[in-house]
Amino acid sequence: MIYQILKEAWISISAYKMRTFLTMLGIVIGVAAVVLMVAAGQTVQNEITKTFDSMGTNLIILGPAEVVSGGVRGGRGRPSITFDDVESLRNLKDVEAVSYIVATAVQAVYGSNNYGVNVRGTTPDFLKVNNWEIETGVPFTEKDVKTGKPYVLIGQTVIDELFGLQNPLGKVLRLKGQPFTVIGTLKAKGDNLMGQDEDNVILTPATAVRQRLRGSYRPNYTDVAFVKVTEENKMEMVAKRIEYQLRARHHIKEGADNDFSINLMTEMVEKVRSIGLILSILLSAIASISLVVGSIGIMNMMLVSVTERTREIGTRKALGAPNRWIMTQFLAESLIISFMGSFVGLILGVVLSQIAGVIYDKDVPISILSVIISASVAVLVGVISGIMPARKAMKLDPIEALRYQ
Amino acid sequence: MTKSPEIVIEVKDLCKTYFMSGGASQVVLKHLSFKIYSGEFVAIMGHSGSGKSTLMNILGCLDRPTTGGYFLAEEPVAQATDAELADIRGSKIGFVFQNFNLMMKRTIADNVSLPLIYQGVSDHERRERAIEMLKRVGLEGYENRLPTQISGGMQQRVAIARALINNPKIIFADEPTGNLDTRTSDEIMNLFADLNKQGITIVLVTHEEDVADYAKRLIKITDGQVEYDGPRKDYHP
Repeated sequence: MIYQILKEAWISISAYKMRTFLTMLGIVIGVAAVVLMVAAGQTVQNEITKTFDSMGTNLIILGPAEVVSGGVRGGRGRPSITFDDVESLRNLKDVEAVSYIVATAVQAVYGSNNYGVNVRGTTPDFLKVNNWEIETGVPFTEKDVKTGKPYVLIGQTVIDELFGLQNPLGKVLRLKGQPFTVIGTLKAKGDNLMGQDEDNVILTPATAVRQRLRGSYRPNYTDVAFVKVTEENKMEMVAKRIEYQLRARHHIKEGADNDFSINLMTEMVEKVRSIGLILSILLSAIASISLVVGSIGIMNMMLVSVTERTREIGTRKALGAPNRWIMTQFLAESLIISFMGSFVGLILGVVLSQIAGVIYDKDVPISILSVIISASVAVLVGVISGIMPARKAMKLDPIEALRYQ
Repeated sequence: MTKSPEIVIEVKDLCKTYFMSGGASQVVLKHLSFKIYSGEFVAIMGHSGSGKSTLMNILGCLDRPTTGGYFLAEEPVAQATDAELADIRGSKIGFVFQNFNLMMKRTIADNVSLPLIYQGVSDHERRERAIEMLKRVGLEGYENRLPTQISGGMQQRVAIARALINNPKIIFADEPTGNLDTRTSDEIMNLFADLNKQGITIVLVTHEEDVADYAKRLIKITDGQVEYDGPRKDYHP
């Protein structure tokens, strides 16, 4: 019986090809939009995860205290954490590694090439803490840091801009006129979340930056310090120990504010992730408005169809069609439209999102969520927009319906 | 001694009252009683407003009487549910309408075999029986055409084939020639007469005297009551 009903329903809707197609288009566009938005949201989430993974998540970031004046948050205060402060954290329980940077941006020159680069003066542990890997050559050592050796590790962008196809190892480039020797190259990391090129970087001993590039203002102070924790669930505890230790070293009285800031990478990840999630929910919600419009389209078409086919319904009833049959047939008609619309919309959405992925050079996932969404849209929209017209058809009095002109 | 013919329709003291909103009511059929036997060809006549359409709807199981009994093939149907009435219409009754009521976008075979869908008959058997019925009404070879491609008289033949396909106990024809010209009307009425000769029971509702002439028996309804019930040839208004 189900087969017969579906067949009758199919023949009925295919009798009005244009109308059915246009109605279906509403659902196609709606589902495709939702699938696209879900894909966009998931891509953003994946990018966030990727970025944080590349930075390492078991990370505590220390910096200057935020300047608060009159209740208004300003920028960063002056540097307050010294190299020795950071080194003193190395011995805390559950700390895997510590590092710090003094950052500056300068013009790097090699031969006739020059390029603006980010220079990070740091320590050997920086590679471990921030998940950098050496591609060729060797990293600088603790001893190099102590003596302020002008050694540099250079990122892929720097290689491309300054050296082109030459092997940079052993070459001497100039930063602010000072010679620095390339002892290693870094593996590519790509852009970060803010779209900044992470590979446009030069790593060098912090002392070298201090002595040769930044002048003498507060020479032993770091811009940012990093503490890598052994396990993610120990982050809070380690943060407490760091705070205690630094307050003691800075002689901060009880009740006074810290002169430094402590940020847990895990918390930052959570914050950014939740923003990403809200963003994708919002996008999908906006896209689903078109689905609502699409389903109103189906309901409208079905109501018109019931009115137009009043005589047919009367005839069918007179010839023995039970009310249940009539109702099921009309419901089947709206379900067929919504199923086909959802299916085509799903395909369209997936194809468009993959095309967008190729254009923007991002991995766009084909998620099971899209399939679940479109399947439930098919059922929900079909039933919701079909039930009212179907009941109307069912309730028609055959005598009245046969008399209808 | 020959066996007395089977009673197809038995109406006992049948009344129909329409209740209007506001408490008013209108009595349309008043205490009708008659029997129709298998093989009869009955014309029901009456002026508009006489109640003949209401009677037709009740006999055709599209409506129920307010009081009184109605037995179709000896089964009581006066109190049947909607679903039971639908089943009775599909299995025991054939309808022929004034305006044919064919589905214009479906083939003639699909139209003829439509009632069998609701009886759960397979596609293949439905088509075979449709072709057989089309042969019976003189439309052999027309099964794959659309109703829009044939004349009005042929469309009514298709409708008659549709009415015959479920081997009904009785065929109700409501003004079957109302939309046809005189010559085509004669053809259709001759077809009904032929079918009646083959043993099919027919109830015809009409207001035209010459159409009623094809019937053997006449039931004349006036003001909701039977004014005359007897041989057609003996009725002289």
